[in-house]
Amino acid sequence: MLQLTYIIPLVTGIIVFSLPVKPGRLILLATAVVHAVITAMEWFHLTAPLESSYFSTTPEGMLVLAILSFLFLCISVYTIFYMAETEMSKEPVFNGCMLLFLAAMSMVTIADHLIMLWVAIEATTLMSAPLIFVHGSRESLEATWKYILICSVGIALALLGCFFIIFSMEMGGIHVPITFSSLNTVADQLNPIWLKAGFIFIVIGYGTKMGLAPMHTWLPDAHSEAPSPASALLSGALLNCAFLGVYRCHLLMVESGMGDYSSNALIAFGLASMVVSAVFILNQNDYKRMLAYSSIENMGIIVVGIGIGGLAAFGAMLHMIHHSLVKSSLFLSAGNIFLGYGTKSISRTGGMLKLLPKTGVTFFAGFAGISGFPPFGLFISELLIILGAIQAGRHVTVSLFIFCLILIFAGASRLVMQMVLGDRPEEKTLIPEKWMRALPPIILLLSSLALVIWLPDSIYQTIQQAISSIGGTLNG
Amino acid sequence: MIHISNILLAMILLSVLLSLRTNRLMALVKLMAFQGVVVSAVPLFQTTAHGINVNLILFFILLVLVKGLFIPGLLFIAVKRVVSNREIEPIIGYHASLFAGLIMIVFSVYVTNHLHLANLASSHKLLLVSAITTMGAGLILLMARRKAITQVIGYLVMENGIYLIGTALAKEVHTQYVVEFAVLLDLLVAVLVMGIVLNDINHTFDDVDTALMGQLKD
Repeated sequence: MLQLTYIIPLVTGIIVFSLPVKPGRLILLATAVVHAVITAMEWFHLTAPLESSYFSTTPEGMLVLAILSFLFLCISVYTIFYMAETEMSKEPVFNGCMLLFLAAMSMVTIADHLIMLWVAIEATTLMSAPLIFVHGSRESLEATWKYILICSVGIALALLGCFFIIFSMEMGGIHVPITFSSLNTVADQLNPIWLKAGFIFIVIGYGTKMGLAPMHTWLPDAHSEAPSPASALLSGALLNCAFLGVYRCHLLMVESGMGDYSSNALIAFGLASMVVSAVFILNQNDYKRMLAYSSIENMGIIVVGIGIGGLAAFGAMLHMIHHSLVKSSLFLSAGNIFLGYGTKSISRTGGMLKLLPKTGVTFFAGFAGISGFPPFGLFISELLIILGAIQAGRHVTVSLFIFCLILIFAGASRLVMQMVLGDRPEEKTLIPEKWMRALPPIILLLSSLALVIWLPDSIYQTIQQAISSIGGTLNG
Repeated sequence: MIHISNILLAMILLSVLLSLRTNRLMALVKLMAFQGVVVSAVPLFQTTAHGINVNLILFFILLVLVKGLFIPGLLFIAVKRVVSNREIEPIIGYHASLFAGLIMIVFSVYVTNHLHLANLASSHKLLLVSAITTMGAGLILLMARRKAITQVIGYLVMENGIYLIGTALAKEVHTQYVVEFAVLLDLLVAVLVMGIVLNDINHTFDDVDTALMGQLKD
């Protein structure tokens, strides 16, 4: 049943390529709805459990799948109304690739076989590349080329890492299926040296995809040059999928008793990402690049939280959920801003509250959310990570962590203030804003808000199950 | 059996060194086809334990078709249609690249000897040496050449190297044909997508020189 989450988008995606624009849009929306229904049925255990040698349901996978499904539903509504304004010549290609991209990401969330996971993650790169260069401008081509090449080489290294892990199994003299679920049960018999080597290669490989510094160089380009619905999907859903790959390997390392080693590696990569994004966000003059660097920062926060464990691990999982919701809302708002002003340069925007009132509010609220202000969820998750770090006695980590948060807030708030409240000489916009384009970002923000006020027990239980084996808990 | 596999490995090493030295794009594409066929044949002569079965041969044929025919065919079309100037234009010169390739061989022998792989057959040691060299040479090609199409070829050489490392180390993978088929499919689609982007780059920039692309930076 769960396989349908990737089979249906795969089939409809291929069909949409050959259809004219209007039915293509309908199929996009219909697939998003069907995908959400299947995910919801699986989430509430209404279907028979998955039995396959390559796929399985895991709590962390279900979490990412649920986020993906919800985001895609909101983004597909937005896409239809966004595309109606832009008159893109290659729209069937765009819609088709959106669906194929959804298929690849759904496959990541349920993949259990080591190499099947690799195949799925590589497929996400290939299916999302056409989304970036669909405009065909010089910049978008450059961004696409960087994206494909850097990510493919990175992910090729992850394949090497997979081979090392399989070899560590053969060195340990055990023969089980090459799936994470069965490897976890025999983790203590794996050869530690080769497992370590495999982990490092996989973190470098999937970390490239996730945007961890210093392998992040493709991310600001790709996120800023892609059309906004695609950026929202890249930032809100794809980065989580790559994180899932890293997290599965971290679990394996913890099970085999080398959790300290992998935790420290994750914290180092995470802090490096935070520092890099803090440095580059300060003098940014492109609001989509600013959001992209903020994604690098937040991915850094998540892996730091996972590396620390305990309370921070719960915070990290919560952070992943809220970051996806808030950041994709911000990218959708950025799309509205781009339609309104026709530019991505911060210095040529301004006065959004007067010119684009709805977008101005969602963008500003989203910014407050992403900087960790209450009442949005990132406040709670960052607080949990900080508390967890202090509890674990990692004082250097926590000071650097807080310092980066302050620096990024200071840098970004200046830019956002200028965009929302600053002056703009011309008092008109290119395309007036519409409710249907303002609604999806509002819904995403409200759902983040709702999850703060009331976290459903099923989500709480799922997070607990996902982090229990690395010693994560809320009652620390 | 072992002799044949050694000959194959020697051919791979030769093709790697030649690809670092060659200054014609067409020659590089032909070398890729040759390397693809030889790399696909290696697992046939390594499976002393399992023996040769029908699946293995069928998969060998599929590998040869993809690595030796389809992918080089796509590259061939790309060179014919897209590239006007068929010089390679290296960033690092041919002799320096060749020298780097030779150093890579020495390095991989050193690494293989210091891994303490007691249960690795001696024939596999040679395989590991050529695999690491191939991967390293792929990285050199990727970084030291300016044309976008040579970067694709560098990526493919690297992928060949990783495949060989998989053959040397992880025997278990090569009995799981569904998974291997999926990896192969990914590779094929990767080259297809890269080819489409290449075509667009050529339309927009009138060349496939990556030095022309430098708009995006901070």
